[in-house]
Amino acid sequence: MRKLAFFIPFALFIGLSVFLFSGLFSNPMERESSVLNQPLPAFALPDLQQQEKIWTPDSVKGKPFLLNVWGTWCVTCNAELAYLTELREQGVMIVGLYYQQPVDAAFGEVFDLTALQQEVALKLEQQGNPYQWNILDKDRTLIFDLGVTGAPETFLIDAQGVIRLHHIGDINPQVWQQKLAAAYQSLQE
Amino acid sequence: MNYFLLSLLLLTGTVQATQALIEFKSPEQQALFKQLTHELRCPKCQNQNIADSNAVVAVDMRNKTLELVQQGQTKQQVLDYMKSRYGDFVHYQPPLNKFTLVLWLLPALMVVGLVVLLLLRRRAERSSLAAESGAPVHGQLEQQMDQLIEQYRRKS
Repeated sequence: MRKLAFFIPFALFIGLSVFLFSGLFSNPMERESSVLNQPLPAFALPDLQQQEKIWTPDSVKGKPFLLNVWGTWCVTCNAELAYLTELREQGVMIVGLYYQQPVDAAFGEVFDLTALQQEVALKLEQQGNPYQWNILDKDRTLIFDLGVTGAPETFLIDAQGVIRLHHIGDINPQVWQQKLAAAYQSLQE
Repeated sequence: MNYFLLSLLLLTGTVQATQALIEFKSPEQQALFKQLTHELRCPKCQNQNIADSNAVVAVDMRNKTLELVQQGQTKQQVLDYMKSRYGDFVHYQPPLNKFTLVLWLLPALMVVGLVVLLLLRRRAERSSLAAESGAPVHGQLEQQMDQLIEQYRRKS
């Protein structure tokens, strides 16, 4: 009994150390998404380059694809454009969901569509264009419904329009191999 | 001089006008909005509520909360709306489920464990005390002492 009592603080110390040590390597940004295995929320948003074209959940589905939330203002998004373009060349279908930052009317800012279209076209020309098309979410409504916390974030959508994976952060060769490739391949069959 | 002061006054007037003032239908709605923005957590930030953060997502959540409150939705409805998009993470009060059960159980278990430990210890102490002042041992010593006293008395 006395021996056991002697080991209790020791065991507690070891347990606490292991718990705190493993915490050093956990990613605080990683969390369970609540939109997983749910169909795409309802939306009707214009194409970034052709405003008269309206995308809806029905018109985007049909084939498994990656829905990549990005913006030209977002440094990490720009960094992943090259690798995403590589993936497109390998046959991966990627659709862009453009994350427009709010314009502050108090500072005299106005939303300038033409300037944005030019900026996006230039950026994609320089860095590579991974996107089949871009959906413009000016007021971040679809972005809000998808539970997006910031850019870049990527969703894997299956042929039925159901969200199968939600990745927060950039996509690089390592992330693609470890997290996304297998899931994407399994949807192809 | 007076004109200068007057123009300064006008200037402050226009500066104030750019501040966004939110109008509520009732003090209850205002209180609810305040409570919700303090209880909802910004999903982009590590530990800030949405009232405290100016991250884009926090601003959007604040606007959405306002919209829902002004529509007359209850606190639970707004919380459910946010949780269905951003998960349980978004509310500072985690629900009781299999993942958070340990948070509730651990303090109770610790108290129970401490009480058990104290009881065991008290019992051990009592039994060791009883052993030290045990009657048989005491009697034996007394007997030995008597013998020794008797022995030395005879010598003298």
